[in-house]
Amino acid sequence: MAKKEARAQEEVNAEADPSPMIDCCFLLLMFFIVNASQITVSKDPSVNMPNAVSASEMKDANGCIVVNVFADPEIMGAKNAKALEKYNKNYNPGTIWGVADASQNSIGFNSGQMQELSDFITKQREAMEGKKIKPEMIRLYLRGDADAPWSRTAGAIQAAAAAGVNNIVFGTLPAE
Amino acid sequence: MARRKKIEPPQEEEITSNISSMIDCCFLLLIYFLVATSLVSEKKLDINIPTPNSSQTSKKPKVDPGNIYVSSSGVVTWNKDLTVGEAYDPGLKPGTPEYLQQRRMDSLVESLKLLKEQATALDTTPVVMLHGSGKAPHQRIVDVMAALAEADIHSVGLSTTPDE
Repeated sequence: MAKKEARAQEEVNAEADPSPMIDCCFLLLMFFIVNASQITVSKDPSVNMPNAVSASEMKDANGCIVVNVFADPEIMGAKNAKALEKYNKNYNPGTIWGVADASQNSIGFNSGQMQELSDFITKQREAMEGKKIKPEMIRLYLRGDADAPWSRTAGAIQAAAAAGVNNIVFGTLPAE
Repeated sequence: MARRKKIEPPQEEEITSNISSMIDCCFLLLIYFLVATSLVSEKKLDINIPTPNSSQTSKKPKVDPGNIYVSSSGVVTWNKDLTVGEAYDPGLKPGTPEYLQQRRMDSLVESLKLLKEQATALDTTPVVMLHGSGKAPHQRIVDVMAALAEADIHSVGLSTTPDE
């Protein structure tokens, strides 16, 4: 009887060892830190990204000037109603290019504002050069909607070329 | 004989650090990175646009340049005579075999590889021009860019052709 009572008391004092859980937690943390550093460009949810069968990993987002190219609102809304909702909330009607400033505020440009877009890219390039980023590392990161007409993408490339940025990176998603 | 008083060592107290705040902090960081990281990360296709001050622009290229045309419907043709990609179908769902088939342009990749081989044999770089209709869907341009990347060609001249 006494033995049983002693055993019961021992069981009450049992404590859970949290160290494996902490180890596991740290491993997960490290995994997500490494993955998050792959690309930290501002991703506009209104863009339905195109897919590519052969594309390489984006290892370093440093020096990327991100320009989002939007499709027509009707096409955008037919594919994803939420994307259209966010587009209407963030941009004025007629916006075809979207960028984010240093405080992550969305700025939209319409087809007649190519010069303004070029000025924005110039400012971004100068700011990056001020941060000692190598000129060859300063790239235009085009997040074009799969259904956006080529003239809009070409317009953004033209604006970048006028701003002195000739390296173009097309943002895509893996097709498989 | 003097009696020595036995000095008893002080009772050892178990020193334990309270790690609960660290675990809290760790969890917060974990949640932040979980939310911030999208597992399907974006990929890239690098393209260099030849600038007007490039040294090659004034010289006639040793190998005839390759011309890729993308029409407003998304039909891709190589040197105007060979159709290498059918019209773009926006209704196809990503991940389906039909979708993947439309993304792949094997005959274009082969033609580009051949051009690259010819240029390498003459110790020069291949010249490729991409002429896209203003209404051509961006997805079709990306398909062409993917074919160029597969053929290891990273310098492309871009132009917009008038809409048909």
